[in-house]
Amino acid sequence: MRKLFGLLITIALGVMIILALDKTSAFPKFGEVNLQERISNQYLTEENVEMVGSANIVTAIVVGYRGFDTLGEVTVLFISALGVAFIFGGTKQQRLDLKFKPNFMLRVGSNVLLGIILVTSIYIILHGHLTPGGGFPGGAIIASAVLLLYLADDKFRSNVKGFKLIEGIAGSIFVVVGLLGLVFATAFLENFLPVGTVGQLLSAGIIPIIYVLIGLKVGSEIAGVVDNFLTEEESA
Amino acid sequence: MNAVLLIVIPLLAAFISIVSKKIAPYLLLVVGLFNIVLLFFLENGLVFIGGFDVAMNSDLLGISLLLDTYARMALWLINGLILVIFCLNFKSYKAFSSILLLAMAGLNGLLLTNDLFNFFVFLEISGIAAYLITSANKKPVSTFRYLVIGAIGSSLFLFGVVVLYAMYGTLNMIVMIQAIQASGNYAEVILPFTLMFIGLGVEAKLLPFNAWVKGVLGHSNTLTGPMIAGVYAAAMSFVLGRFITNLFVFEGSLLIVVTVLLALGILAGDVMAFSSTKTREILLFSSIAQASIVALLFVNGVIIWAVYLIIANALSKTVMFLVINKATKDVGSDESEALRGLFVNNKLVGLTFTLVTLSVMGLPLLAGFVIKLNFLTQLAGIGQIVLIAIILVASVIEGIYFVRLIVKLWYPGESEISVKYNYSFKAVFIVIALALLVFGTYSTPLTKLDNTIDTVMEVVNNG
Repeated sequence: MRKLFGLLITIALGVMIILALDKTSAFPKFGEVNLQERISNQYLTEENVEMVGSANIVTAIVVGYRGFDTLGEVTVLFISALGVAFIFGGTKQQRLDLKFKPNFMLRVGSNVLLGIILVTSIYIILHGHLTPGGGFPGGAIIASAVLLLYLADDKFRSNVKGFKLIEGIAGSIFVVVGLLGLVFATAFLENFLPVGTVGQLLSAGIIPIIYVLIGLKVGSEIAGVVDNFLTEEESA
Repeated sequence: MNAVLLIVIPLLAAFISIVSKKIAPYLLLVVGLFNIVLLFFLENGLVFIGGFDVAMNSDLLGISLLLDTYARMALWLINGLILVIFCLNFKSYKAFSSILLLAMAGLNGLLLTNDLFNFFVFLEISGIAAYLITSANKKPVSTFRYLVIGAIGSSLFLFGVVVLYAMYGTLNMIVMIQAIQASGNYAEVILPFTLMFIGLGVEAKLLPFNAWVKGVLGHSNTLTGPMIAGVYAAAMSFVLGRFITNLFVFEGSLLIVVTVLLALGILAGDVMAFSSTKTREILLFSSIAQASIVALLFVNGVIIWAVYLIIANALSKTVMFLVINKATKDVGSDESEALRGLFVNNKLVGLTFTLVTLSVMGLPLLAGFVIKLNFLTQLAGIGQIVLIAIILVASVIEGIYFVRLIVKLWYPGESEISVKYNYSFKAVFIVIALALLVFGTYSTPLTKLDNTIDTVMEVVNNG
């Protein structure tokens, strides 16, 4: 009965929202926004692309203009990982028993795949300012490689302390790069390096540096979460 | 000096703190002090963040922060209280240092940011920090309920922001306010405002979005009680005040719905506190009533006295939760009968608790009285007689349950109870009680500041 009541309220709320938005003239229909009237149009001008030096203009917005949001999002992941470690982590942890027994072929095959996955992640992180991708997906791919090792070997434990170290240092350098913007330019996280030529690997100023830091941080954080979920406190 | 330091230095310290856990508590102390001192040197105004060229900043392509008198008062209170609460819990809750640093960064961000999506990011950071802080209660189900309700609240807030962005094409609060004022069509923004109000209402403990409060504060300790009922409640009230005063437009039937909900919140909070026998529940239900009064004052444009009420409440609730939660920990129960005679051997603590409680009730010679008298006068000035009657009725109920509680705590029961408060606790109690007494008898500084709280648009227009 309670669930039915909840469902009815949800449907009623949904219908109300759709009707309200449908009647709102200021709410544009999908794909019919007049970009000329919007601030977002200014990101797309040719002068702006030349100035930011990033072939992927979305990256220039996410890491350049709105880099502070990205620092915040990195912090959201950081505190979530911290929370998981806080609740699950103890002093002495051991691996949880897997329901299946990984065999020799799985272990060797995973080690071969590991290299390919890591190279892919490095490519995606380093090309964040040129093609779709960047630090967040690249970091998640690094963590997926760690997850593969955990699933392919029921004795495997990653170096959790090492990951914590990378997490802390990458996060700190991210903030320091932002502070250097205050020193060498005028604002926190403002670009202070030459932007180079659009389309080249070494371009877009501080963006590739920040993406490498984000990749390392996200990768080590999610890897830490994987470890927390696949281990338990050692029985005395 | 730049206002962004108030956010990024705690963040930097939090990142460093996980590399070396031993230095984490000391980092929190240093950063807390740094922020309080830094606030003396910062100038009011807009601060731009990110971008590639100085010229581009003026086109509002990036994110900006806004520091004004309102935010400054809130920041002093929040950073100061976090520092004091952590000092008092230094030995017992060292492990929470990194989380408190993140809470500090998140709450400072909420109070400073001038960007709606950036606000959501800080809402998430401070929210997750709050869930982790409440894990110290060791009541996982209550914490989980808080997490679920909080997540739904912040999702609704984000949904409201998405709708506003689709309508006006900007996330900058000042530009948004100008665009809404220029369009003049307030009926179209009812939906996003309602969604955002619900989202903030969850954290600000407003009825009916406060189902999490009883589980969290009803089992609180000397860290979680003051942090959630003092620091977080104050920060969220300040934030709600900022939105109600500057962005939200409550008119017509929406104004009636909001006013009725808030008035019900005041009465329901005080009635529930009246019917409870558990001391922690009495305090938490009283906080719900107070949060609704603050929101009601903002809705009616009584800004400065709402600000003072937030500050007085935060300080008072910090003392009350510290006294009660320490006693509950030592005695093993929070039933008011079990704590009977608590102050017999703790006369100084009893005296400060009594003064603070009388101030919350609004008795003469204490700051609470000056604040209550002034906001009631201002409400009378705008003809809100019904609201005044509701607040007065609620005050009578509040008076009865608080006096009943104080009498129980002063008069000994059959068995003697022994609770020891150390000197640092006593020092904090005395300072706060004295402050309430001083501002209650000498209120000139409060009335003098009256005209310096401007709306965001006034701050911008005045340069």
